[in-house]
Amino acid sequence: MALQTNSCSGNAAVTMEQLCKWYGSFQVLHNVDLSVAVGERIVVCGPSGSGKSTLVRCINQLETHEKGRLIVNGVELYKGMKGLAELRRDVGMVFQQFNLFPHLTVLDNCTLALVRARKLARDQAEEIAMENLKKVRIPEQAHKFPTQLSGGQQQRVAIARALCMKPKLMLFDEPTSALDPEMIKEVLDVMTELARDGMTMICVTHEMGFAREVADRIIFMDSGRIIEQAAPSKFFKNPEHPRAQQFLGQMLH
Amino acid sequence: MNFNFSFAIEIVPRVLEGIGNTVMIAIISFIGAAALGLFWELLRRSHATVRPVVQFVIDAIRSTPALVQIYFLFFVLPYYGVTLPALLVGSFGLSFYYSGYMSEVFKAGIDAVPAGQSEAAQSLGLSWADMIRFVILPQMLRNVAAPLGAYSISILKSTPLLAVISVPELLGSALDVASDTYRYAEPMFDVGVLFLAMSLVAVAGITQLERRLGLTAPSH
Repeated sequence: MALQTNSCSGNAAVTMEQLCKWYGSFQVLHNVDLSVAVGERIVVCGPSGSGKSTLVRCINQLETHEKGRLIVNGVELYKGMKGLAELRRDVGMVFQQFNLFPHLTVLDNCTLALVRARKLARDQAEEIAMENLKKVRIPEQAHKFPTQLSGGQQQRVAIARALCMKPKLMLFDEPTSALDPEMIKEVLDVMTELARDGMTMICVTHEMGFAREVADRIIFMDSGRIIEQAAPSKFFKNPEHPRAQQFLGQMLH
Repeated sequence: MNFNFSFAIEIVPRVLEGIGNTVMIAIISFIGAAALGLFWELLRRSHATVRPVVQFVIDAIRSTPALVQIYFLFFVLPYYGVTLPALLVGSFGLSFYYSGYMSEVFKAGIDAVPAGQSEAAQSLGLSWADMIRFVILPQMLRNVAAPLGAYSISILKSTPLLAVISVPELLGSALDVASDTYRYAEPMFDVGVLFLAMSLVAVAGITQLERRLGLTAPSH
């Protein structure tokens, strides 16, 4: 069952107009147009090398675009701009490899940016951290180091760490691809809950069950282009583009 | 002229007069080289435009003999009105020379921190300085502990270079004994043995430190 769509507000969380990016002479993004409304849940899928990760990483400027426009939370982003760190605090990012800080405890992973970037007092930051660790059902691990946790636990900590900043938008870059099968569910459950709470989410994932249940819209990419976008009910039943049909054929079998 | 073992023992107290300075120079130079080396490396990373300039400086430092740099500082600084004790000039010279090598150690140490770490720090909105201080440097230190230990011993063994600018360190005091007695073998033997002893102590200390910090095995 699809969750209720929440796109009534006209505010866009992300707007891309004719976005282009090259790695050297290789073009990874071709004139991408995309608008994501506040509260909308987007799943981005497509074959590897299709530019999905790059697309998502542009949104917090871990990759910079060379052409076109990109507006995130009402601010246009461009290469070399000032104040990027501040803008990034409102955009949560969850990586495939978790990227927790191995020398810090789970709690300190969560509080570092609250204390250093948001300038909160230590105890206030810890309170927020514990709240979010509870939300991802892992408060009892707060004083452990990341390497002492399973992959699924680490990824949930990474989600909590991002949530601590109270982001307006969450980006997920293949959050379950590095996990053992039995750990995928615990991470997807947390993400589903987040979606239910109304978080604006853009997820690159191959988890089609998650996409079907949570997404308002599926974006299908191939060779750096968005070649199809549709509600999951339509996308999974009768995708229009032959490349999408072929992809789904391989994914669902 | 025969090697006189009892003479070698007899002059130990006189040779030892320089050991305090030797240790002090080694410690100052190690700290100075590490600090300056880290500075070079962070500067090299900060902007694409300064990168080639910093690289040239580092290459120049590493491509000229330490002895030449030390002489140069010692004789050139006074022209600009800077007269410092020889010990300080020498320590600065060694710091400067080894900073070139240290910067390469730090470069490798930082490169070995996975790219995902800085990406995570950036995506949390940390400033560049906070990212370096709280995310990159603590992880880099684990990577560079072993080579830094090796350089600390190299620096210790380079302190006799300062004898040429008349810093009263181990070699200097041994040379004093030699010029008084016209015997060189014994004082030089003593200096060698003392450096061997100090190096062994330093190695043991570094190993102990690495073990206590849990650095002997990769932690992740």
